[in-house]
Amino acid sequence: MGEYLVRRILQSVVVLFLISVFTFGLIHAAPGGPTQIFLSPGLSVEAGKIKAHELGLDQPIPVQYLQWMGNILSGDLGSTFKNNIPVGDILWPTVKNTLILMGAAWILTLIIAIPWGIYNSTKEYGLSDQTASFISYTGFAMPAFWFGIILQSYFSLKLDWLPLSDMYTMGKEGNISDLFMHLILPVSVLSLGMLAGYLKYARSSMLEVLEQDYIRTARAKGVKENKVVFRHALRNALIPLITLFGLDLPILVGGAALTEAVFNWPGMGRLFVEMANSREYSVLMAITLLGAVFVVVGNLIADILYAVVDPRVQLSKGGKS
Amino acid sequence: MSANLQPTSHPSVPVQTGAAPNAEKPIGPWRQTWNKFKRNPFAMTGLAILLIFVLSAILAPYIAPYDPAKQDLMNSNLKPFTGNHFLGTDELGRDIFSRIVFSGRVSLTVGFSVAAVSVLIGSLIGAISGYFGGWIDIIFMRLIDVMISIPTLFLNILIGAIFGTKFIYIILILSFTSWMGVARLVRGNFLQLREMQYVEAAKAIGVSSWGIIFRHLLRNASFPIIVNATLMVGGAILAESGLSYLGLGIQMPQTSWGQMLSNAQEFMLIDPIQGVYPGLCIFLVVLSVNFIGDGIRDALDPRQKMHLSPRRLEKWRAKFSKSTK
Repeated sequence: MGEYLVRRILQSVVVLFLISVFTFGLIHAAPGGPTQIFLSPGLSVEAGKIKAHELGLDQPIPVQYLQWMGNILSGDLGSTFKNNIPVGDILWPTVKNTLILMGAAWILTLIIAIPWGIYNSTKEYGLSDQTASFISYTGFAMPAFWFGIILQSYFSLKLDWLPLSDMYTMGKEGNISDLFMHLILPVSVLSLGMLAGYLKYARSSMLEVLEQDYIRTARAKGVKENKVVFRHALRNALIPLITLFGLDLPILVGGAALTEAVFNWPGMGRLFVEMANSREYSVLMAITLLGAVFVVVGNLIADILYAVVDPRVQLSKGGKS
Repeated sequence: MSANLQPTSHPSVPVQTGAAPNAEKPIGPWRQTWNKFKRNPFAMTGLAILLIFVLSAILAPYIAPYDPAKQDLMNSNLKPFTGNHFLGTDELGRDIFSRIVFSGRVSLTVGFSVAAVSVLIGSLIGAISGYFGGWIDIIFMRLIDVMISIPTLFLNILIGAIFGTKFIYIILILSFTSWMGVARLVRGNFLQLREMQYVEAAKAIGVSSWGIIFRHLLRNASFPIIVNATLMVGGAILAESGLSYLGLGIQMPQTSWGQMLSNAQEFMLIDPIQGVYPGLCIFLVVLSVNFIGDGIRDALDPRQKMHLSPRRLEKWRAKFSKSTK
């Protein structure tokens, strides 16, 4: 276990380092470099040069990378071009908001998907199974933001049951029940998208386990069917779901951005879109990097959990990819 | 008269040479797949819907009754079926049906091009990585690790912000961020296939590495690639619509379904129905493509049972009719 843990952590650090190089390189690969693209186009050449010098953009690229990386590791994410606000000040609150939204959606999805998917695996092709498969197809094919718009126009504008957008009603910041009302629509949108994958996966993973020899043995020695399903099969079927969580993360963080845009949710994704429009490249780089950290760390945790619950992995999965 | 009764000479049948007349033609793998695919009602429905959309996109100038960009402020926000406007008009008096048809051109072009380009990149990189192995494999695999760790939407937006969002760039950006799945798939296949005896035989008679990759291995890995490519069309259409919805994708005067949606949301209070059509089109196209992809996969997989076997369908029908009574 120890060796596996060390190897996986080292691997993640290497990937994170490569991601930072990749992101940094991408910005500097742009024709004209970051000065050209991200500074206001109206700026004269002279003023542009002075500004670039102030920001250290006239240094050699490796030097700039090291400076940037050093700043980030010491907690300084840079500041915006326009108003010179520290990036951390605008970024951290949005991270919290995104985590609230994603966490709620993820919990709701698990609560629905696992019991339902497992029930469906025992009653293959029944009405409930068909319904679940219908929901899966819908969730995969539906543009999340469209579903959001439809929910908004029906539940907020027509029926006036739920708030249209934002995280809190003006003047009620921090009120939990108000937050809950604002969460309902965006969480429904996010959950439908996630449900599609989890339902399918829970069902097929369970079906696979039910075909194993040890299940046949359990049945042959006369264990009751309920006990076979819940005691013997369920535990093993849940293991692969851990991996799905890791695989889902990049889509989740990205998908949350669209949902946040629809519902004007003050999260990381919405901030990213805003900053892309106003070309604040230090914020864009910080968010991209942070998103990648989420994904890499999420995958790492998933892999470690997997290895804890299923010791076979450490042997067979030795060098992943 | 008697000549007609002659059994041996039949003028309508061309003279056959070589092959025995009664020898049964072996059914090729493509034919076999199609035969199974045909029997899948979902896949066939998907194919039909997709064909309708593709045809309407190709024939857009003939189908659309109006110029999609023509504004008519006297007739803005018309309800469906008023005047000659089948789906009504938007806030600038543009005919919604015409806009839907022309947007379909853009969205479908993006979907199919992105699938094609990213499959091309992905299979090439996966093939090289899987066949040669070694340091080249390590480099490509780390690149894939990096690219799948950055949330795709962020990556798309970031590259768009840097290089611009012209139509062709949108296609290139989306392809550049979606080839990794195919590459991993092809690499995995190649790792198995390169150990096959026919590869050894080909090497022994002096076929070059590229010859083996393109002539033998890619062909053997082609079926899973096709399934993946089909599903990718849907993913690309969704990705494009998301970007355009955020205002970071297809730009005016070109329109796509996603862009129409972002427009419709602004006028949701006045006319909520405007937001339904473009989204419905995206949904239907992506759903059809996914049905087709799943249909091909099921048809290719000999272990896979039919989507709904006749016996199961019968059982299900019996149960359903009982419960409604």
